[in-house]
Amino acid sequence: MLMRRAIPEGIATERTAGRRLELIGVCKRYESGPEVVKDVSFALEPGEFLTLLGPSGSGKTTTLMMVAGFELPSAGAIRVGDVDVSTLSADRRNFGVVFQGYALFPHMTVQENVAFAMRMRNRPRAECTRRAREMLDKVGLADFADRKPRALSGGQQQRVALARALVFEPDALLLDEPLGALDRRLREAMQIEIKELQKRIGISILFVTHDQDEAMMMSDRIAVMNKGRIVQIGSPAEVYQHPHSAFIASFLGETNLIPRGDGSVSVRPERIRFLKPGESADHSIDGTVIDGTFLGRQVRFNVSALDRRIVVSTADPAVYARVAPGDSVQLGWNAEDAQTLAAED
Amino acid sequence: MGRSERFGRPLLMGGALAIGLYLLLPSLVIVPMALTRSQLIQFPPEWISIHAFTDYLGDPQWIASTLVSLKVALLATVIACLAGSSAAIALQGRRFRGQAIVVGVILSPIVVPLIVLALADYLFFVQLRFIAAWIRIGLAHSLLVTPYVFVTVQASLAGLDPALARSARSLGARPVSVLRHVTWPAIRPGVLAGAIFAFAVSFDEVVIALFLQSPEATTLPVRMFTSIQYDLTPKIAAIASLMLGLAALALAAQGLVALRRKQPQSS
Repeated sequence: MLMRRAIPEGIATERTAGRRLELIGVCKRYESGPEVVKDVSFALEPGEFLTLLGPSGSGKTTTLMMVAGFELPSAGAIRVGDVDVSTLSADRRNFGVVFQGYALFPHMTVQENVAFAMRMRNRPRAECTRRAREMLDKVGLADFADRKPRALSGGQQQRVALARALVFEPDALLLDEPLGALDRRLREAMQIEIKELQKRIGISILFVTHDQDEAMMMSDRIAVMNKGRIVQIGSPAEVYQHPHSAFIASFLGETNLIPRGDGSVSVRPERIRFLKPGESADHSIDGTVIDGTFLGRQVRFNVSALDRRIVVSTADPAVYARVAPGDSVQLGWNAEDAQTLAAED
Repeated sequence: MGRSERFGRPLLMGGALAIGLYLLLPSLVIVPMALTRSQLIQFPPEWISIHAFTDYLGDPQWIASTLVSLKVALLATVIACLAGSSAAIALQGRRFRGQAIVVGVILSPIVVPLIVLALADYLFFVQLRFIAAWIRIGLAHSLLVTPYVFVTVQASLAGLDPALARSARSLGARPVSVLRHVTWPAIRPGVLAGAIFAFAVSFDEVVIALFLQSPEATTLPVRMFTSIQYDLTPKIAAIASLMLGLAALALAAQGLVALRRKQPQSS
């Protein structure tokens, strides 16, 4: 390839770990179809781990694909630092992308896979090899450099995909449900591994998932998406403890929607407790225990109150001994644990 | 269950063998006939001599025809590979109005009666007399054999993960590089299989070659066809045997390609 690649000055040529990715009013509408992404704006700060979390069809993957350059936004801008990249094709942006199925090149060795981006940038062969080796070393796969991807386990393939997407020092790493194909145990191990890798390398990550536990454990901030919009963005604790709507409250873990006035409040099961006789709380209701289940780390009760089923969970096994089905009980919670919800959108 | 398995399997194998022989024997009969001592093609042959083969190799007219056939088949195969692969790549993963019609047009040479195609080619190339006759035949054949390459390449593209091209793009590959580093390795076996098919079909095609022939461009099958009408030389049986061997080789090559694709590539 003798062609000079027309990469905008500064995007691919310098160390760029510290560049900010910003989406401003991004929309996507397919020809004669509905709008699948509506007015999405957020910024991925340098070194940040931001997750787009939502059910399938919420527009999270489409948003990621627009950032990567595989889809063109119908409106809005995508900026990296001061450069508007919205109209650049994927190969002229500088993002590392990891797909759900890893998309490793089957006919190339692990090392050739990792060196691919360097090769496309016409770097000398020696440099390609050296940097691919260094990167493989960082993900602990130096001994597998000459294998073909299909000779590797799922977790190893995942690490090759990460190494391949990181080796050219991209502005950010874009991960599209990369752990979806792994079993639970491996999934949790990879979550920790990705997190550690991110800290070590200091790269910004934009992560897409529909798994709220994964989002909570990995992210600095979570952007919850529903029907093409970002409905709430904040730290995992903020989004979990102060959800703006019933959708967010129930999508991020389990919650109880308790009517108050003409709206309702959300109270997490672990925030409700059984009041002992004489004990008082900011809010309390009377109910009857339907059943209790011992789950090891926690005990879960279904309680009938206010004509609905209220879920109470506790980590205290003594409660399991004390409360039995059929008991009349009083449930209480603190004012700060009840989150007032906006009207449903 | 044990009973049907014990008797069913040998029965199936026997049946398959019988049908196989029925299909193959008429062609295989040509081999002993080529080994006759006689100057005439006849059955049963008088064994055993290879003079038919040496006669063929020593006859400049027959060798000229062989070279014409090889050139024609090569030209047709090269064009078919370029056109068939390009069409398959262009249509991959796309949905558009009239797509079925486009595919139908590409595949139509397989269905259109050969004699119609030959006549059309004849009338068309009559206008283009300045093109060498073997090139005319090669061009006409390329039309006929492009569908074979198209189909085999399409089949190998169907198994190609579209995320591969995307990930190559995200790693900085221009579309040309994606073609070279991602698409080509995936379709290579398909192109090869289609090329073998295309070459074989063009090499023994008679009807079009007969219509477009000229004194300096008579393909091997055409010469065989015309010569058997006045000259019952066993050379024809010898050439037919050689062509049979070529076809068997092509089939074996294709089998090898298919086998290599199936085998898991370990380190």
